[in-house]
Amino acid sequence: MAIAQAMCTTFKKELMLGTHNFATNGNTFRLALYAEGSGGKSSTTATLGAATTAYTTTGEVANSGSYTAGGGELTKVAPTNAGTTGITDFADISFTTATITAMGALIYNDTNSNAGVCVLDFTSNKTSTSGTFTVQFPTADASNAIIRIA
Amino acid sequence: MFNVGVSQAGSVNIMTSDKGGLTNEQIADLAVDKIVSISDEAPAHIRQQANQFREHLKKVMYYYLLLARSEERGSIIQVLESSGHKEMAEYIRRL
Repeated sequence: MAIAQAMCTTFKKELMLGTHNFATNGNTFRLALYAEGSGGKSSTTATLGAATTAYTTTGEVANSGSYTAGGGELTKVAPTNAGTTGITDFADISFTTATITAMGALIYNDTNSNAGVCVLDFTSNKTSTSGTFTVQFPTADASNAIIRIA
Repeated sequence: MFNVGVSQAGSVNIMTSDKGGLTNEQIADLAVDKIVSISDEAPAHIRQQANQFREHLKKVMYYYLLLARSEERGSIIQVLESSGHKEMAEYIRRL
């Protein structure tokens, strides 16, 4: 599979190096959208998964509406504990008046070398046509939060 | 020895629209998905009750979203009319 849901392996190491700060006044994180099957910019196809180390333009969807290269900045929700699990969350993000077909996304740290955080697999192509493309993050609890460390 | 068991990425929900923004129903779905999370492992009668609550909540959200959009349009129409843009106000009234 060209896009496979995963935490980036390098992210786990970088947590120990203090590369990523998810506090509301911490680093800037962005979400970029990707296409499979030559649907990306310049007919490129994304290959994303646990081995992804950083943001890449290969396979990224083309600029359209409010979507521009690099994707959108995420609004952070301060990390917290849910039981014995550490979790963090982001506000939902929308790209408007956009024509986009995306199969997945990459969350990455814009502040620190575009380091990859996690890959999101939409499991099928999601398309907006001159419309809104919204990514809704899951409920921020120990079982569902977008980033969890148990 | 400390063992950090699992680091995981949750599953996102994607909502898209064609030729315009999200509908009231889609927004109500997004809101309800955020408010109500039903575990697959919950007992059947709890899941059933939670699903009923979810459907009720969605109807309430939908109604108030319609109202909010209608009231906002009303405010915009008033501003346009009072500044002499009657034709534009009429366009928005017909939305």
